[in-house]
Amino acid sequence: MSNLMSLLGMGAGGIAAQNSGIAVATNNVANANTEGYSRETVSLEALIGPPLAGGVRAGDTSRYASELLASRMRTASGSLASSTASQSAISDLESALTSGTTIDTRFATLFSKIAQASATPTDTVARDAVVQATRDLVTSINGQAADISDARHGADLRIGDNVPQASQLAQQLADANKQVAKTNDPTALDKRDQLANQLSQLVGGSARIDKDGKMRFVLDNGAVLVDGVHAATLTSALDPLTGYQKVSVVDGAMTRDVTSSLGGKLGADLTFRDSTAKTAADALDRLAYDAANAFNGTHATNAALDGSLGHSMFIAPFVVTGAAAALKIDTTLDADSDNLALAGPGTAPGDNTGGMALYALATANVASGGTEKLTDAATGIIGKLGLAGAEAKSDVDRDSMVADNLAGLRDSLSGVDTQEELTNLARFEHASSAMTKFVSTIDDLLTGLIQAL
Amino acid sequence: MRVTDHRIVDLSAAATARNQSKVAELSAEVSSGLRVTKPSDDPSAWLTAQRGRVMAALNDGSNQAIQIGHERMVSTDGAISTLSSIVSQARELAVEGANDTQTATSRAAIGAEMQSLFETAVSTANTRDPSGEYLLAGTQSLTQPFDPATGVYSGNATARGVSTDTVSSTLGTVPGSKLTATSGVDILPMLKALADALNTNDTTAIRASLTDLDTAVKQLAQTRGETGGHMAVLESAKTAHDQLSIRISESISTAVEADTVAAASDLAKASTALSVSQSVTAHVLQLLDPTK
Repeated sequence: MSNLMSLLGMGAGGIAAQNSGIAVATNNVANANTEGYSRETVSLEALIGPPLAGGVRAGDTSRYASELLASRMRTASGSLASSTASQSAISDLESALTSGTTIDTRFATLFSKIAQASATPTDTVARDAVVQATRDLVTSINGQAADISDARHGADLRIGDNVPQASQLAQQLADANKQVAKTNDPTALDKRDQLANQLSQLVGGSARIDKDGKMRFVLDNGAVLVDGVHAATLTSALDPLTGYQKVSVVDGAMTRDVTSSLGGKLGADLTFRDSTAKTAADALDRLAYDAANAFNGTHATNAALDGSLGHSMFIAPFVVTGAAAALKIDTTLDADSDNLALAGPGTAPGDNTGGMALYALATANVASGGTEKLTDAATGIIGKLGLAGAEAKSDVDRDSMVADNLAGLRDSLSGVDTQEELTNLARFEHASSAMTKFVSTIDDLLTGLIQAL
Repeated sequence: MRVTDHRIVDLSAAATARNQSKVAELSAEVSSGLRVTKPSDDPSAWLTAQRGRVMAALNDGSNQAIQIGHERMVSTDGAISTLSSIVSQARELAVEGANDTQTATSRAAIGAEMQSLFETAVSTANTRDPSGEYLLAGTQSLTQPFDPATGVYSGNATARGVSTDTVSSTLGTVPGSKLTATSGVDILPMLKALADALNTNDTTAIRASLTDLDTAVKQLAQTRGETGGHMAVLESAKTAHDQLSIRISESISTAVEADTVAAASDLAKASTALSVSQSVTAHVLQLLDPTK
């Protein structure tokens, strides 16, 4: 009888173990669409066999995961987030600068109108056309300066939004380390991987699992953001020198500027703000400054319709910085096209040597420190942006391919296959049913035995 | 390699999305006829096209200037031709007036005719272009160059240039000084003097004018020849600009325009691929449906 009772216990243990398998398979199917979920498995452990008792028991639940793969995925998703953010920012600015008439075409139109007016230098209609083309050029340069400034401030706003989010994720990652240390639950490990992934997407960097099983997250310049259960804070503050936000890691009393060493979305926006868009802004300022001075220099030495000298075409900015936004048409020229200096000094009003000198600026190297034509310098600003956009697009394609390949590898290891889980479910169900039958049989034997006593 | 059912669905959905994107891209290319719409599509091609557009605008400015210069030269040639005709008629009247058979009265009648010719000549020499500038005034083009009463020239001897490109130019006007003593004889005052001589029955002066009239004929012929030379240069420049304009258009077209036949063919292929990937996705979903 005691043996029958042991068998009954073995049967009950078997049912419990198979039910654990059913629970794990059901949980896997239930989480088949859960982002970052790693399929789990329960290990069934055979107990010491007869004559003592034997049977089976459910061991710990574990997940199918690879830290090496997770690490590669973090790097890849950080790169993809960076290249995608970069492409988006550059594409927006590119669209803004190429919508409507571009600055190089505005310059060409101005030169074209000057050539036409030079053929009829006393014709008011032709002179007015030159003044209008000058106004259009100024409006275009001012507009593009505003577009670039808006794009840089837009990136700065995104940086301001993403910094607290990254800081929050770092804290959550530290909390997840705490949770993992307590339970080592597969779901907690998945959660920690996901948080690290999200943090990589925002700031780049890298993470590793220390010997104590806790994750350590480090930025590209070595600044530690998460060390076990402790998280540093990522903060942003306005830099009075640049007018834009700088980003720092604050850990207790120590503050470290990480503005130039972030990756991910923040890194992309910082690079766009401080490099790509700034280069375009600086080039536009240089162009506006050079154009104003080149036109004014030639214009002032030639004669207006009344023979007077010294007129300007533009109100020339005093310094290169901010020249594009500050550029204005000369007020006297704006008011009266008779002030356009198309005649040479000391000549009659029908002379056009002044106009021809202005037209000659079209092919003179007066831009970029006397190395380029004005039109080439203007084309180059958008051309360089286009090149950066094409590179970013290429980076997105490459990073997408890498991320997709790694997603396939992860899915191969950790992904839930519902067909497979349904098979597992059936396997555990059948085993559980068989054990139920076994228990029922033992129960019948025991009942018979008891009745026979 | 273990491939989950979710991965199969993801892959087929991704393939459908890629094909959809390709179809959208090719549709835009076929409908717009443009392969490159923004710099990042193909930075090198965009730069080529943009430099072409800039060059086209500059070329257009030169071309317009050349056109204006050419039209002015045509008008100038017409005016000088008219003046040549007037001088020839004046010579005939001078010969007629110099004839001893003429009386003071008949000379006065010829003189009246000569006065009329003089006035026509002054009017012709004071011709304006459509913008209101005097054609034969040199660069003093806002001031009437020939005095209506005396025919004396008050313009200057400066000819205006026309930019044939940003670094070269050719002459685009003929100054009225070509009709003055600096180039031979002072033609209009001479015509006035002839009219006066006829009116005053001054046969000596009438006969003396014949030599000046011969010089004037040659002077006008030479001026007309120079005008024709300038016109030819301008025409040649215009032809060069027109050809350049065509080459620029071709260059822009080659750089950014789509090969519509190839694009349409690619679109058909991409549409087929999209259709197939949609069918595959539907089939995969049906195959992996756990309720079946």
